Amino acid sequence: MTATAATEIISTKINPNVVPHLHIWEWQIPLYLFLGGMAGGLLVITSIMIVLKRKFGIGPKDAGEGCPCLAIRIGSALSPILLAVGMIFLFLDLAHPLYVWAFYTTVQPTSPMSAGSWILVAFFPLAVLQAMLVNKRQLRTFDVGIVHKVLDWTEGHMTIVALVNAHIGVGIGIYTGILLSFFSARPLWSSSILGMLFLVSGISAAAALMLLLAPEEEKPIYSMIDANAIWIELVTVGLFVLGGLTGSANSSGAMMHLIGGNAVMAGIPYAYWFWGLFVGAGLLVPLLLEFLEAAGVHIKYPNVAPIMVLTGGMLLRFLIVFAGQSYHTFM
Amino acid sequence: MDHWQNFSRRDFIKISSLFLAGSAAMSSSAGQAFSGLGQSGSDENSDRIVYSFCEHCFWRCGIAAHVRDGKVYKIVGSEHHPLSQGKLCPRGTGGIGLLYDPDRLQHPLIRETKGGKQYYRKASWDEATGMVAEKLYGIHEKYGPGAIAMLHHGFGVSFFKQMFSQIGVNKFAKPSYDLCCGPARQASVLTYGYPSGTPEGFDIKNSKYMIFFGTHFGENMHNTAVQEISEGIRRGAKIAVFDPRFSTIAGKAEHWLPIKPGTDIAMMQGLMHVLISENLYDRSFVQHHTVGFGELWDSVRKMTPEKVAEITEIPADAIRTVAREFAFNAPAAFVHSGRRTNWYGDALQRIRAIHILNALVGNFKMPGGVVNFDKFVLKKPKTAHAHPPYEKSVYSRYPFFPDDEPSNTIASHEIVQQAISGEIKALMIYGVNLPETMTLGRETAIEALRKVDFMVAVDVLPAEVTGYADVVLPECTYLERYDALDAGRNFRTPFVALRQPAVPPMYESKPGNQIAKMITDKWGMHGVFPASVEAGLDKTLKMTGSSLEEIKKTGVIVRPETDLYRKPGVALNLKTPSGKIELASSRLRAAGFDAVPRYTPQPEAPAGFYRMLTGRKPMLTFGRTANNRFLGDVATAKENEVWVNTETAAKHDLNNDEYVHLKNQAGVVSEFPVKVKVTQRIRPDAVFMVHGFGHTAAKMTWAYKRGASHNQLISRTDIDPAMGSVGFQNNFVTFIKEA
Amino acid sequence: MANKKNYGMVIDTRVCVGCSACVYACKSENAVPEGYCRDWVVQETKGNFPKLTMENRSERCQHCENAPCVTYCPTRASHYAEDGTVQINRSLCTGCKACLAACPYDARYIHPDGFADKCSLCHHRIEQGLKTACVSVCPTGSLHLVDFNDPDEEAQKLMAGRIVYRQKEHAGTGPSLFWISASNKPGA
Repeated sequence: MTATAATEIISTKINPNVVPHLHIWEWQIPLYLFLGGMAGGLLVITSIMIVLKRKFGIGPKDAGEGCPCLAIRIGSALSPILLAVGMIFLFLDLAHPLYVWAFYTTVQPTSPMSAGSWILVAFFPLAVLQAMLVNKRQLRTFDVGIVHKVLDWTEGHMTIVALVNAHIGVGIGIYTGILLSFFSARPLWSSSILGMLFLVSGISAAAALMLLLAPEEEKPIYSMIDANAIWIELVTVGLFVLGGLTGSANSSGAMMHLIGGNAVMAGIPYAYWFWGLFVGAGLLVPLLLEFLEAAGVHIKYPNVAPIMVLTGGMLLRFLIVFAGQSYHTFM
Repeated sequence: MDHWQNFSRRDFIKISSLFLAGSAAMSSSAGQAFSGLGQSGSDENSDRIVYSFCEHCFWRCGIAAHVRDGKVYKIVGSEHHPLSQGKLCPRGTGGIGLLYDPDRLQHPLIRETKGGKQYYRKASWDEATGMVAEKLYGIHEKYGPGAIAMLHHGFGVSFFKQMFSQIGVNKFAKPSYDLCCGPARQASVLTYGYPSGTPEGFDIKNSKYMIFFGTHFGENMHNTAVQEISEGIRRGAKIAVFDPRFSTIAGKAEHWLPIKPGTDIAMMQGLMHVLISENLYDRSFVQHHTVGFGELWDSVRKMTPEKVAEITEIPADAIRTVAREFAFNAPAAFVHSGRRTNWYGDALQRIRAIHILNALVGNFKMPGGVVNFDKFVLKKPKTAHAHPPYEKSVYSRYPFFPDDEPSNTIASHEIVQQAISGEIKALMIYGVNLPETMTLGRETAIEALRKVDFMVAVDVLPAEVTGYADVVLPECTYLERYDALDAGRNFRTPFVALRQPAVPPMYESKPGNQIAKMITDKWGMHGVFPASVEAGLDKTLKMTGSSLEEIKKTGVIVRPETDLYRKPGVALNLKTPSGKIELASSRLRAAGFDAVPRYTPQPEAPAGFYRMLTGRKPMLTFGRTANNRFLGDVATAKENEVWVNTETAAKHDLNNDEYVHLKNQAGVVSEFPVKVKVTQRIRPDAVFMVHGFGHTAAKMTWAYKRGASHNQLISRTDIDPAMGSVGFQNNFVTFIKEA
Repeated sequence: MANKKNYGMVIDTRVCVGCSACVYACKSENAVPEGYCRDWVVQETKGNFPKLTMENRSERCQHCENAPCVTYCPTRASHYAEDGTVQINRSLCTGCKACLAACPYDARYIHPDGFADKCSLCHHRIEQGLKTACVSVCPTGSLHLVDFNDPDEEAQKLMAGRIVYRQKEHAGTGPSLFWISASNKPGA
């Protein structure tokens, strides 16, 4: 028997996916956020590589006729593709997908959903243009008039395109986090560092992906980018957790719900998911592996580390989306 | 249970889906109707509004059924009806849940035996009513009218009473007398000389101080009473509640006094002691208008607050406080006689004690005190047929059973017992789900149902009772029929109300007035009922200076407010033997009972057991709403919980929301598990569960297996020896944790 | 501007018994689908046996002055109506659910037909000069529809001198629902 005054609350409320706690977003939204973050990350990495080429000796080799190496070419092409796939998931999540046009009848700057839908519009033309420019040699072989024309007009400005894209990529990455952190009613999400966290996580996932795709001689550079991104991500996760714990009872409660509570996702407590699978298996272990590799230790399965990073990045989105919903509303 | 086989000539039949399948498509579309008419909000202009009155509880509030495209899509409170005044409780709104219940009985059913197996077959109305007429008449001829009885609950029964009167049958019982209002009615007769009515005779809205003993206003949504209590609270009235459980009304109270269950009479004696010993009572009123004060004082002289505190576990100071505040606020103060007043075998005396408390403070016919509302005087046309005289006017063997209520001539438990003993051969059961009605418990009820030679059930839903019938007659709901005029309610403004159909009967169901007429026609007694029910209503209304056409517009004729209050210096001229309020009842004394109430201890719970208390949820009326999906569609209505005090729960290692089976002192284990509500809101020595859950009839697809049945756990009943009500709170349960 | 309405509710928990009549009246009035509700009733008990207090209250969309659902709606489906209420234009709603996540009161749900839905304060009835379904049905008279731009309103007088609160005011939402606390002494 505790001495504290008990409170008993009974409510007649029954709305599905609202009671006992919010459950409006399932796998589609975390996947969208993950793919969107990775698309942003790919754009950031590829465009910066393009801008920096040969300046610091870390840029991609020229594959001839101004085209960069294979990894950049694939990465640039994957960025809009992954985002498009992500948007399919977003579309699937809409309760009334046929009304999707309504997003483009208005600009609502205060709505992250509206802002996001317009950012996506800005993203695609330039991301696709960059993908075309880096792959221009292959594209010209198809001999399509309009493609020739577009390439003719723009091929002299690839650096400018890439420079703008680097910013759009950062915007997309941050946007995937801000989308959630705008919801002040959900204490776990209501943290602006979530934007930073998702951006860095998106970059590390993108680097991991490029590490997997890049030809052997290009891998070290992506391994280095990935290791740096993971390191920054670890710091950002730490700040995110600290920011929650040092906040109000609301924020700290929500953070404890994620990192230390009894609540479960797929039968496993959030705490295990978070510390064991995300921080441990998704960040620390691959960081160690990549460090060892860079230090010259022979790693038998070099693909393990990037796959762990990718899995961890996806897990982060699921954890944040689910734990944020399953904790009670702002009190 | 082997001995059952010796006399069970009838098995329970789950009303077979085989015969109902034909209408499955119709049922499922009816089920959709709860969602209303689609997405658009309502357009008031295209509605047809039908004024009628509700049947979801005995209060019978006025309703306005809104009909569009042939469907009732909403029911609101009638602004014309004095008992609803435009307001309505959840159950009233929930009428659509009954009307469009996909489980409704759709056609008459007749029991058949083929290859040793019993089943129901669909029958025509002609065949089914023919069989009922023939069987009833045969039993009447062979054994006399006393071998036939009717158990009834619901306003539509009047036609069946009239039907039975044609053959001299008047062995009628309404379980509500045994279980609910009987003791209050008879205690009023013995003390004031008139029966208590509905709404109960208390001037609630003008009261400054209200005392309730275990009356759960707010959980029982007696519309008018709740309206007036709210008005009282707004005006600053204070409330004191004696209840082992922190009920909703206790939540409104200035004082919640968690009295030890079964000790209420001691508490009332203690309050009387304080009133008298501290000279707080209305000396002049007692002197002029009551008899038996000396005897009363003798009986409570030793019931000091200290002694009562020991018995009731309520501090003596609190007893003094309540008595003093009661007297201070009198005469605008009352102790309410409550509803469902039968807890132990001494309910008559307990309600008498309440009336005595009221009389002591002189609140009789005073603003805010005890009043006697009037009924609308409805002249009735002479019946076309002179029926044979009743064999007896009252069958009950209880000396203080009412002798002025033709619809209630015997206690329902006496009918159950006579069915078992063989004295009653045929039963008509109108709207009473006997196996789940608290009359002597489930097993005894089933024994009676199996034993009688012939049983016909008139019902709307395939409730448990219908599975024991030889013939099932599906009545349409109250929203699809005319009934008799309702002049049976007492109120500030006497009124008569009309029940009229909002929509025509669904499926093959028929209104009671037609069913009864078909049976009398089969008996060759034509002209018992008017050519049409409308014609009969119109004729009666014309004798009151109105007409059916006129009353249909508002559903009610209301008389001006009556004068409720007594004039100083005028004798009361009550219809008691003394003409005064009888603090000591000469009639009780003459019959060998205590003339003044005396506390006698109730049995204590065996170790590890807890007294089982019951009540209701505000959106449900026990069995009547059990299968109502519309009403079941909120989180708190889906099942019943067993309330267990935190301390008690710890002792039994029970967690909140855990499911347990309950076992009573006789070893009966609840058929279904029930959810535990661990709470501070109940005494550690009692548990509470809402009645009307845990249904076993699988064809009530919503109610089936929802929660646990309170009724099943009643093994012991205590019958009031004076007036025959049934108390059942001497049942105790313990918990069986799920393996 | 004198005639501009600003509707909200005053809910007197001193008299509310938590019967849920408001919930059912709303269900049938607004054709709320089975399994959903636009308003709901909370019974809150505090303390330890036998010192207990209770409050019953009807809850619903708060028709905030600064409604997060409107702020976050990407399509203007959720919007402020002329009469101070928050309404949803179903033909613009994509069902993105941002408004559900944004609402600190969890007052919304996704209708099975694919749009966000919630209490409309019976907009269609107010337009016809009627009270909301919940206010009309309430047997205790706990619910009051109030135009806060009309200083003569009976229900606004009800609040004077009493302990009155709004829910989660610190969320900055400017809710239009006021509760008269059950802790007010009888008659106060």
